[in-house]
Amino acid sequence: MSRTTVALVSTALLLTACGGGGQIGDTGGTGDAKKMVLIPGVAAEPFYISMECGFREAASAAGYEVDVQAPAKFDATLQTPIVTGVLANKPGAVLIAPTDDKAMAGPMRQLKDAGIKVVEVDTKLEDTSIASSTISSDNEQGGRLAARTLAELVGDRPGSVLVLNTKAGTSTTDARAAGFEEEVKKHPNLKYVGQQYTDNEPDQAASKVTATLSANPDLIGVFATNLNTGEGAATGLRNAGKTGVVNLVGFDASPKQVEDLRGGAVQALIAQDPATIGRTGVEQAVAALEGKPVQRDIETDLVALTKADMEANSKYFYRQRC
Amino acid sequence: MALPLLDARELVKHYGNVEALRGASFTAHAGEVVALVGDNGAGKSTLVKCLSGVARPDSGTILLDGTPVVLDSPVAARALGIETVYQDLAVAPDLDPAANLFLGRELRRGGLLGKLGVLDKREMRRRAVASFHDLGVSLPDVDVPIGALSGGQRQSVAVARSVVWASRLVFMDEPTAALGVVQRERVLDVIRRVRDQGMAVVLISHNMPEVLAVADRVEVLRLGRRVARFDAATTTVEELVGAMTGALSQEDA
Amino acid sequence: MTPRTGLRRRLVGANTLWIAVVLLVLIAVFGALRPDAVLTAFTLQTTLVETSVLLVLSVGMTYVIITAGIDLSVGSVLVFSGVTSAMTMNALHDGNATTAGWGVVLVGLLVALASGAAWGLVNGLLIARTGIPPLIVTLGSFGAALGAGQLISNGSNVAGVPDVLSDTLGTGTWFGVPNLVLLAAAVTAVGALVLGTTAFGRHTYAIGSNEEAARRAGIPVTRHLVRVYLLAGVLAGLAGFMALAYFRVASITGHDTDNLNAIAAVVLGGTSLFGGAGSVVGTVLGVFIPAVLRKGFVIVGVNVYWQPIAVALVLVAAVWLDQSRRRARDKR
Repeated sequence: MSRTTVALVSTALLLTACGGGGQIGDTGGTGDAKKMVLIPGVAAEPFYISMECGFREAASAAGYEVDVQAPAKFDATLQTPIVTGVLANKPGAVLIAPTDDKAMAGPMRQLKDAGIKVVEVDTKLEDTSIASSTISSDNEQGGRLAARTLAELVGDRPGSVLVLNTKAGTSTTDARAAGFEEEVKKHPNLKYVGQQYTDNEPDQAASKVTATLSANPDLIGVFATNLNTGEGAATGLRNAGKTGVVNLVGFDASPKQVEDLRGGAVQALIAQDPATIGRTGVEQAVAALEGKPVQRDIETDLVALTKADMEANSKYFYRQRC
Repeated sequence: MALPLLDARELVKHYGNVEALRGASFTAHAGEVVALVGDNGAGKSTLVKCLSGVARPDSGTILLDGTPVVLDSPVAARALGIETVYQDLAVAPDLDPAANLFLGRELRRGGLLGKLGVLDKREMRRRAVASFHDLGVSLPDVDVPIGALSGGQRQSVAVARSVVWASRLVFMDEPTAALGVVQRERVLDVIRRVRDQGMAVVLISHNMPEVLAVADRVEVLRLGRRVARFDAATTTVEELVGAMTGALSQEDA
Repeated sequence: MTPRTGLRRRLVGANTLWIAVVLLVLIAVFGALRPDAVLTAFTLQTTLVETSVLLVLSVGMTYVIITAGIDLSVGSVLVFSGVTSAMTMNALHDGNATTAGWGVVLVGLLVALASGAAWGLVNGLLIARTGIPPLIVTLGSFGAALGAGQLISNGSNVAGVPDVLSDTLGTGTWFGVPNLVLLAAAVTAVGALVLGTTAFGRHTYAIGSNEEAARRAGIPVTRHLVRVYLLAGVLAGLAGFMALAYFRVASITGHDTDNLNAIAAVVLGGTSLFGGAGSVVGTVLGVFIPAVLRKGFVIVGVNVYWQPIAVALVLVAAVWLDQSRRRARDKR
C-alpha cells in the first residue's frame, strides 16, 4: 500500500511539475561533455558497487570526470529525481540501471532529448529506442551454468533438484530459472521437481526447502536465483541438518555469499561480472560520444565459483568499496 | 432541615464566550431522589460535569457534608463516593457484565500473583452476581459480552456499576432514554432501591411524568441558574414546564 | 449454570474453535495425501522453527490489534533491531563477531531489545498523545525504521553473527525441541497469560472495546497504549535477534511483508480489527494456518500460483465470519 501511495503522489507531483508545456530539461546550457555519470539501481549493494568500480576505472582512464548517483531503494520514484537532477548538469553520457522497464522511459527520454548519450547497464527499458547500448548479464546463460555446475558437483548420483525463485514475473530471476530448467533436463540423473516462489522472503525460502525435503527426501540440489532465496535456502538446509548433503547453488557473489561458499553453507555461486559491465558501458558511451560504431546489445558472461576454484577467481567477488 | 449531602453554590462555568453556568446552585440530601430538569442548553450537563469531576467550575463552592471539596477529576469524585451513569452508557461491549462492573477497579489475587497483576475473576464474578441480585437486575447470562445483551440489560449493568461503587451520591444522566416501558420500570426500581439504601440520587431527565413518579424533589435550571425548587408530591407537570420556560419563577431559588 | 456448560458454550461460541478445526482439517487432508512426508517429526520440527520469528511478532501484534490499533512497523523494526544488534556485536569484536563469546551476544540481545523498544515508544507516544491514527503513525515508522536500518548498514545485509549464538539459539535443540521454538513458546505463553489473566490484559481489551468508557472508568488509557506499542516494539526487537540467530545474517530486504503476515495471523486467529476481542491462542493458530498451507502445498505438489490464493481465501473468510458474528450481536 505504501509504495503505491508514494508512487501515486510522486506521479501527481511530477505531472504538476511538468505541466505548462515546457520541460524541466530545457535549460539550454552547454553542460560538460567530458563528464560521465553512473546511476545504479540502488545504493550500497555490492553488485552495483563493483559495477561502479569498473565504471570509475574505465571512465577515468578515458579522461572523463565521473560521478555516481544512486537511489536509496530500487524504486522508480526515487530514481526519477536523480535522473532529472543529473539532466540539469548535462553530462556527456549517463550509464543507468533503470529500476522500472516502463516508468523510467520518460525521464530517460529527457536525457536523450537533451543530447546526452544513454547506456543501459544491468537492466533495460522496454522501449529500445532510448539507449545507445545495453550491457547486461546473460541471465539465462547463468541459469544453464548453474545446472551444469550442480551436475558436476553431484556427479553420477541420482536425486531431486529444486529451484527457488523470487516473485513470479521478475524477468531476471525468471530467465535464470528458465535457463536452469532447460539445462538440467540434459542430466538424466537429476529429477527436476519444479520451482517455488518465495516472495523474496528468506523465511519462505527456508520453509519451501524443508517442505521439499519432506516430500522428496532424495533432494540433492537447490538452485537459489538470488541473494535472499540463497540465504533462506541455506538456513532451511542447516535446520534440516542437510548442509553440504544437498548442494546449494546461489546467485551473485556478495561478501557474505563468498563467506558462505568458503564456510561450506553454499557449494557454488554463479557470479555476474558487474565490473566488466561497468567498463563495457564506458567503452560504448565513449564510442557513442566520439561518433564511432556502437554495439546495441551486449551480454556479459557469468562465471561459476566453487570452493575448489574460488580463490583463483577472486576477481569476481563483489566488493563493498573500490 | 439536616445538613445537605451535596451543596453547590453559585457555580460559574465559561466555555470560551459561552457562559454555561451563571451562578448555579444545587442541593441534594442523603436518602432522596432529586430530579434536575431544564430545557436544552439550560446547563444541566455542565452542572453534572462540574459535580462529577469531569469539568472544573470557574468559580463557586462545592460542599460535601458541609466541607468544601475540590473535584478535579472523575477519580477524585469517585474517591469521595460520587459516581455517574453517563447518557451514552460508557460500557465496554466486548467484556462480560462482571468485567464491566469492575472496570478500572479490578480485584486482584492475593500474594505474589496479585502483585503481578493477576485478576481474581471468580471473586469478581461472584460479587457481580450478588450485586445484580441485590439491585434486582436480572440478566439471562452473566458470561457473555454485554454487547450481546438487550439495551435495557446493558443500561441496568451501567446503572449497577455506578450504584455498586457509590457510597454517597449517584448522578444519572437520562438513564431511561431509549428504553422500553418494562425496562424503564426496572431502572426506576433500581433508583428507588438505591435511595432506600440512604444514598442521594440525582436524576437528569426530560420525561416529566417519570420525574414526578420517582423523584422526591425537583430542581429546575434555566439559563445557567437554578430558578425553582419543588416538592415532587405537590407539583404538576405544568408547574415544572412553567419554571423551565421562565413563565414561573421563585424568588428564593 | 455450572462452569462446565459455560466453558463448553464459550468454546463453541469462540472463533478460536473454528480456526482450530480449520487447522486440524488442513493437517488431516495433507496428512492423508502424503502421510509419509507430512506426519513426520522432521516436518513438525521444521514447521515450528520456521514460524517462531513470526509468532513472536504476532504476539505483540495481538495486543495492538485488541486495542483497535495496528502496527505496520514491526517488520521494519525487526530489520532495524537486527542491524543494530549485528553491527554492535561486530564492533565489539574487531569488525567480525563470528568467533565472539557470550558477553558480546548478551550485549547484542540488549541492543536488539532496546532498538525495538525505542521504535515502540515512538509509535506509542505519537499514537496515544497526539491522536494521529495508528495506521499513519506506524506507516511512517515502517518507512523510517527500514530507512534508518539501511542508513547505518549502508544498505547491505550485515553478516558476522556469533557462532555461539547461531549454533545454540539458531539451530540448537533441547531434548529434540529446537531452542528457537522454546523461546517463541515461552514468549507466547507469557503473552497469553498476561492478556488473559491480568489487569494489563483486561485494560487492553477495555480500551479496544470502548476507549471512552475505559477512560471514564479511570483506566490510564494514554499510558496503557504507550505500553502496548512498547511491548510490540520490544517483541519486534526480540524477533530481530531471533532472525539473526536463525538466518545468521541481518537481512535488509527479506522482511517487507512481515507486518502483513503478522496482521493476517492475528486476524485469522479471531482477533477483531475493530478491537476489544481476540486471544493469543487464536494468534498461534493463525500463524500456523498459512505456514501449514504453504508447506502442505509444496509437499503435495500443488501449483505454486494456488498458494497465495488459498491463503487469501481463508483470511477473507475469517474476517467475514467475525463481522457477521458482530452484526448478529449488535442487532439485538
